[in-house]
Amino acid sequence: MKLLRMLGWMGLLLACGAVRAAPAEAEVATAEEAITKVRAAARLLHDRGASSYADFNQRDSKWVWKDSYVFVYDCRKDRMIAHPMRPDLVGKPIMQITDNTGKPIFKDLCKAGNEARGGWVEYMWQKPGAGRLSRKVSYALAADVSFAAGIQVSAGVYDESIPIAELGKVLEKMSDPAKYPAL
Amino acid sequence: MAEQKLGNPAVVGLAGFGLTTMVLQFHNVGWMGLGPVVWLGLIFGGLAQMIAGLQEMKTGNNFGYCAFTAYGCFWIALALLLIGNHYNLYPSSKTDVGWFLVAWTLFTAILWIGAMRVSSALALTFTLLLIGFILLDLAHFGYPDLTVVAGYELMATAAMAWYIMAHIIYVDLFGRDILPVGKPWIS
Repeated sequence: MKLLRMLGWMGLLLACGAVRAAPAEAEVATAEEAITKVRAAARLLHDRGASSYADFNQRDSKWVWKDSYVFVYDCRKDRMIAHPMRPDLVGKPIMQITDNTGKPIFKDLCKAGNEARGGWVEYMWQKPGAGRLSRKVSYALAADVSFAAGIQVSAGVYDESIPIAELGKVLEKMSDPAKYPAL
Repeated sequence: MAEQKLGNPAVVGLAGFGLTTMVLQFHNVGWMGLGPVVWLGLIFGGLAQMIAGLQEMKTGNNFGYCAFTAYGCFWIALALLLIGNHYNLYPSSKTDVGWFLVAWTLFTAILWIGAMRVSSALALTFTLLLIGFILLDLAHFGYPDLTVVAGYELMATAAMAWYIMAHIIYVDLFGRDILPVGKPWIS
């Protein structure tokens, strides 16, 4: 009986541990989520034009989730349009921004975003809430906005090891209209 | 007593049409933002061109009456549409703007035929304007890169409008036609 009770307590403790561990696991944004958010954001920008820019500067919006967020920039005018985590960058030139390895982040994002389905770019960036730089892989996509050419939307995943090729496969899978109908 | 000389409202209409079209293309090719387009669209391309159009009525020129009044309204509508999109007031999607432009393309096609009965310069202006509208339509329905092509093409349209404006003003000032507008394409 005593053994049974002990096992029960142990089980309960384990369950608590699992429950405690679960949110930590859920805090990590996935590649699928990044693609879905970016596509939804591109759709909103198409539908609502410049009036929707401000939505992407809000931290408490659906464009900020888990450890990731959507940001919007203008490749033609070389400007950050909206960034919920870095208001200091909004309205500023973006093409000269490099990571600690010297990679021109936005030049690469603009190039990838101009692909028909958009594309992934890896670079080093500060993870929200963390004090250090992490490897970030962002999905960039051009948004068709009235009276504004060169607008792109992007969101990324923080992952130290996931290969770009694997993310390309996720994008390919999610571009299959049979499995993922247009939003 | 000599009859008082009247000005030709077309000089103001063409000035407003040309300048505002030019400035929008400076935006379309990426040289500048939309701010000046909104205000010029309301006042010069819009109000001034529309008043010029309404003044054409008394000259008996139905072409100018319709064209200047309508394109004046186009600019006012476009400026209000931009303001609406900025303030989330009946915002128009890119597709909505595309259909707005398609309607203006159809309207322009009617005047394009009429312009061929006026002069070569006006026929050329409307040919360029119609091509520009078609390029902008395509830019809004799947070919966004054509916005820049339309931008340069419509700069030529604006320059042609100014040419006709200069023709009218210079005839008056020089006493002879130094910028000929040519015979109508359809005589």
